[in-house]
Amino acid sequence: MNDFFGTLVVLLLLLTALYILVNQDWRWAIAALGLQYIWAFLLVIATWPAELAVVKLVTGWIAASVLGLTRLNLPEDPALPDSGVPSGRVFRLLAAGLVVLMTLGAAPRLADWSRAFGIYPSWGGLLLIGIGLMQIALRPGMFRSALGLLTLFSGFEILYAAVEASTLVTGLLTALNLGIALVSAYLLSAPSLEVQE
Amino acid sequence: MSAALLWVLLPVLVGVALLFYRRSDDTPLYLALGLSFILTWIAWQFPIDVVLQLGSVSIEISPTLVFLGRNFTIAENQRLLLTFIYLAETFWLLGSFITRPGRWFPALSLIAVGLFMAALSVQPFLYAALFLAAAVLLWVPLLVPPGSQPGRGIRRALIFLLFSLPFILFTGWLLTGAEGSPGSVTLVLRAGLMLALGFSFLLALFPFHSWMPMLAEEAHPYVLGFLTFFLHSVSLLFLLSFVERYVWLRDNPAVFELLLTVGSLGVFLGGLWAAQQRHLGRLMAYTGMLATGGLLQAIGLGGAAGLPAFFALLLPQAWVLWALAACLGVLYRQAPSLQLAELGPALRRHPLLAFTSVTALLALAGLPLLGPFPAHLAIWQGVGRHSVGLLVLTLLGSLGLLAGGLRLLHAWLSAAPAALAPAAPAGPRRLRGDLANPYVWGFFLIWMVTLLGYGLLPSFLAPVGRLVLMFPQLFQ
Repeated sequence: MNDFFGTLVVLLLLLTALYILVNQDWRWAIAALGLQYIWAFLLVIATWPAELAVVKLVTGWIAASVLGLTRLNLPEDPALPDSGVPSGRVFRLLAAGLVVLMTLGAAPRLADWSRAFGIYPSWGGLLLIGIGLMQIALRPGMFRSALGLLTLFSGFEILYAAVEASTLVTGLLTALNLGIALVSAYLLSAPSLEVQE
Repeated sequence: MSAALLWVLLPVLVGVALLFYRRSDDTPLYLALGLSFILTWIAWQFPIDVVLQLGSVSIEISPTLVFLGRNFTIAENQRLLLTFIYLAETFWLLGSFITRPGRWFPALSLIAVGLFMAALSVQPFLYAALFLAAAVLLWVPLLVPPGSQPGRGIRRALIFLLFSLPFILFTGWLLTGAEGSPGSVTLVLRAGLMLALGFSFLLALFPFHSWMPMLAEEAHPYVLGFLTFFLHSVSLLFLLSFVERYVWLRDNPAVFELLLTVGSLGVFLGGLWAAQQRHLGRLMAYTGMLATGGLLQAIGLGGAAGLPAFFALLLPQAWVLWALAACLGVLYRQAPSLQLAELGPALRRHPLLAFTSVTALLALAGLPLLGPFPAHLAIWQGVGRHSVGLLVLTLLGSLGLLAGGLRLLHAWLSAAPAALAPAAPAGPRRLRGDLANPYVWGFFLIWMVTLLGYGLLPSFLAPVGRLVLMFPQLFQ
């Protein structure tokens, strides 16, 4: 992966992750999640054969679709007022800034320390893990937690792809991503489901 | 036929098939119970990797199944554990006749047990974390049944339990590196830190335990009891596999010191918080925390002393936790909530279950003559030899749980007499009172006799000692 392309992919990954963290509209968040999986896929093919890496892309898109379709069938939330600093967009951006700073420091050391990780997957992986964590910590509700978990696992998988390419593990991680999306969809719609006891 | 096919794939497939059963009768429960019982019997009776001649038919259960390039191996020395796990599943299914934890319970419990067995049999063993995560996700529809509002507990549970996965998977990779260069202190420290974080999330150790009491207020106690019992037991066996597999872990006294300290902290805090609870679900959650702490202490004692104590505690503790979850499951159906202040009428109506719950709490606190006492005594002696401070913490924790048990006893005895107490709600939630229910009498008598029997004659379960053979390096 050449420098320009690698940097571009990491920047795009950062932008989509930040967008998911900051924005209020769930539709655009789902669209950004779909895009995020494309950039993650481009980082994974640095270490994996494309035909195996594409599994992660397709899985991510299915997970995003499951969440999107579930959310579509739920009543719209009354517009949540963004209560400003410290819980509003500025605070989340500042928190993401901290993640970016930490990643800038940690990724080169990670790549230096282990030859398994390239610098761009290290940047991408750590950024997604950090911003996913912020998403889980700073945004209330199951939908946002699901986005955070999927982002976090996407970052983890970028890094883990460098050390493990087993078919079984790929299959299980795929099932896990789909499981997170399905369980989140279930929890979102559970109150409106018919009681079958 | 391979062992994994029989004890991993078959229950998963049957469980999936049962999910499609639409009528709301007990057929799935009977089928799951039958399969679980048969699998227990086969595990007990049939040696693995031995050709058996039955007339003209020869049968062999081979230990290994290759799936997607990886092995699932259940060896002969794991057969006793296999019997124990499926026996436990049989009892949990039996208990669901009176606790009614939900129509998906039989099917999902079969799938979950299959996944737990997959976690114990997969090679390389560190992939177990993936199967444990899958089992947790699978359990969500039972923890939050259709029609109910998910609370903060389930969200936090999912997040914390899934967090364990990256830590454990990366630990495996780091440990492989540490094996290659055991002199690298940095590498060993990083791997140790990752391992500690991974298992802290998985075992809900302090300070990552908060989801357990929160979820205990939201979910059916029997469902939560099943998940935490199996998840923690299998995770602890998984932890033992780590220590068994890596020389630098089992040769490092600091690892055992850490386990002993964390376990003692779990016992202390679990007991301390249990003493203050006015909600029986939360009390059960903290009891679970104390129970896990006790098992960690046993592992922390190390090698030839710790491993037998671990298995000696695991079995009676499983028996007690199952009964506690079953009693709370019935009370949950009968009372508006598990708050002690609102439980009086239900406790009066179910004196046998109330007595069983109190006894279970006292047994887990380590009261003499009851099942877990001999193992508790061995652990306390071992902890005392290492550190008097940790022993004091352990005993304070046990006293805390004892206080929790006495609080329940007080709530029961001071409740309005049964005749004056309002009757249980009508409809499907209604259940006969204990004294008129032969099944409850049967459960109560068998449970009490077994608990007292093991407490008085601990040699009764001596064959369980063979379980240590699963970890020969660690046992040395």
